[in-house]
Amino acid sequence: MGEPAIAVTGLHKSFGPKEAVAGIDLEIAAGSLAGLVGPNGAGKTTSLSMMTGLLRPDGGRILINGLDMWSDPPAAKAIIGVVPAEARVFERLSGEELLEYAGRLRGMAAAEARSRAKQLLDVLDLTEDSRRLVADYSTGMRKKAMLGCALIHNPSVLFLDEPLEGVDPVSADVIRRLLSRFVGSGSTVLFSSHVMELVEQICDHVSIIDKGRIVATGTTDEVRGGKTLQQAFIDLVGSRANDEEVLSWLGSSSS
Amino acid sequence: MARLLVQLKLRLLRNALLASTGARVAFVLSTTLAALVAGGVFYLLSILRGDGIAAADLTTVIFTIFGLAWLILPVIVFGLDSTLDPATLALYPLRTRQLAVGLLAASATGAWPAATLLGLLGVTIGLAHGALGVLIALLAVVLQVLFCITLARFVTTGMAGVLRSRRGKDLAALLIIPLFAVYEGFIQIVPKLAGEGALTAVSFGGVDHWLRWTPPGLAVHAIWDASSGHPGTALLRLALLAGIIFVLGLLWILSLRRALVTTDTSTQSAVRGSALPFARYGLRGTVAARFWLYQRREPYSLIYWGITAVIMAVVAIRAVLTPDWFGGLLASGVAGGAFVGAFHSNAIGWSGPGFGLEATSLNGRRALRAYFSGQNIALGAIAVPLVTAVCFGLAAVAKHPMDGFAAMAVGLAAIGAGLALANLFSVASAYPMEKRGGTPIPRAASGHNGAAAGSQLLTLLGVGVAVTPVILAVVLTRSDPAAIWLPVLVLGGAAYGLALAWAGVRGAANLAEQKLPELAQIAIKSAL
Repeated sequence: MGEPAIAVTGLHKSFGPKEAVAGIDLEIAAGSLAGLVGPNGAGKTTSLSMMTGLLRPDGGRILINGLDMWSDPPAAKAIIGVVPAEARVFERLSGEELLEYAGRLRGMAAAEARSRAKQLLDVLDLTEDSRRLVADYSTGMRKKAMLGCALIHNPSVLFLDEPLEGVDPVSADVIRRLLSRFVGSGSTVLFSSHVMELVEQICDHVSIIDKGRIVATGTTDEVRGGKTLQQAFIDLVGSRANDEEVLSWLGSSSS
Repeated sequence: MARLLVQLKLRLLRNALLASTGARVAFVLSTTLAALVAGGVFYLLSILRGDGIAAADLTTVIFTIFGLAWLILPVIVFGLDSTLDPATLALYPLRTRQLAVGLLAASATGAWPAATLLGLLGVTIGLAHGALGVLIALLAVVLQVLFCITLARFVTTGMAGVLRSRRGKDLAALLIIPLFAVYEGFIQIVPKLAGEGALTAVSFGGVDHWLRWTPPGLAVHAIWDASSGHPGTALLRLALLAGIIFVLGLLWILSLRRALVTTDTSTQSAVRGSALPFARYGLRGTVAARFWLYQRREPYSLIYWGITAVIMAVVAIRAVLTPDWFGGLLASGVAGGAFVGAFHSNAIGWSGPGFGLEATSLNGRRALRAYFSGQNIALGAIAVPLVTAVCFGLAAVAKHPMDGFAAMAVGLAAIGAGLALANLFSVASAYPMEKRGGTPIPRAASGHNGAAAGSQLLTLLGVGVAVTPVILAVVLTRSDPAAIWLPVLVLGGAAYGLALAWAGVRGAANLAEQKLPELAQIAIKSAL
């Protein structure tokens, strides 16, 4: 096995007394489509923010294709693409302007950035809306526009935080196929999601994070261990169902 | 239903008090202002006793101002009062009539409806004479308040779909510029004219010819008629006013019925041209393009430019009409640059989560210099012509048009200083912004008001200090021939401003390079 595309060791981050990420070790092989799953507040977004150079870690090391994200941020950032969870980017630009802006920020020539922006908008089914302001886009359309921004410079590693949240099934299928094609060429994707079915369906590698720690990692088959990923996930992080007694009145059979 | 919605309104008001220190302060200030307006208007109306028809004219103007305020302000604070938006209640099984009565009752609850009622009751002491006059005055004031509330409800309900849309919110926000101009004009000019005796009740004579048939005019003239022995005409006027309110109420109910079953509107307009302008000029040009588009498309940016122009005019308008006109002109130039800086002293916080995209792409000090200089190019492209135009406009008003050049020289230096300080504070004391319900302009997020006030104040002061050499040069060389000193001063002011802006870009880039992840986190926290 060659050098991992993403290698994280001993990653730590605390916000005051709360330890959001409590020592993560993670390795994702090049060409993987990896999922990072966990309950709300488990540390997914914090971890991805540190891996993408947007949040300074308290400790630990992050290598992207062998480049240290925190020793040489410019070099590491140049080879990654990021779709943050927050679906709000420059809302007063049109979709086309936004993608071109992302390309130009990455140092692409204006004509090249414009040409790729048009192609990406076409693939993401946003051509008709390319001249509308992002402010007028739906959540799903924003996610697609941001995916376009993340892909425009053809990164080696793509980080996506909840990329399919609010995206309709047809667009989700387009994105899934786009990601599959992307990793098929040897690039790597790490994305966080709550949707176990989706992760199970498209990821070849899964890591489960809970309370700031990786509680399971490996190939999707290894992690689910013969069960569904949903069941394996609940077995690992624990079910939090405690509503049977309290909501006894709920339902048509009750008065 | 009326009781429930009144309770809802009271609960919303109480929650505003419990929300945060900022919200509490805003609530207390708003309530205090309402009490002052009530007291001030009551006093003003009550002293208009014995001024004859001139008193009726001025009273009509005051009643009309209240009508206009109730027409415009609810549009601006649409998101502030949840009971104004029928969509918030559309999910519940309510009949339109129930809802209409409830919403009217909710509208009548709060400090400002009370201030309107109490303030206007000043007519019972001022314009009204005799028992019948006072009785008609009481009825007229109640009808006037009812008219204001129904008008506000009709307008906000009719526009609810538009006001929820992006473009509607933009347009509502832009109303702040003329309101700010009127407010500043009022506090600057009215006291001066009143002090000089140029503004009395008689000054409003004639206004009444066209205002007397408006609803506020009908209310006032009913009081005048009743007080001058024409009770029949007074009652007819009140009946006409009641009829107008009834029709307005019916229109409102029809509009409410429609609003409850109409889907939200969103703006579907497209932008002109597909390419990012200036993008061929490297990273600097690309960033300049983004900031340039934002200055045109973002209503807050337009508001800030409008307010800058108004402040420049206000700073100088009193002085330019006196022998101290030259000082007024220079002060206007300084104010222009200072406010350009102050309004942009948190550019990264204003960029919001989009800065995350920029932060993952801006690699190194060189790129950051291009980022800040691109931003300054876009802002300078608006600030320079704006400040220059206002300086020359004021110089023309002062009847010394050539001295516009002196003000321009100071203005150019001030713009450079303002942009430099804006760059530095954007990095050194960045803070997240927050769009709150009802306020068209985002404010510093809770807990960051001190940073916001500090960086803006220091920018204003810093520009004042930085332009002192240029002001001294202007004053000391004033006796030289204009053909020599004016071009030298303008070029010198521009060069000095450019040098300051250049230094600001370098300083900000050096600082930002060390704390780019922290800046990204601050920007991502902005809820715009």
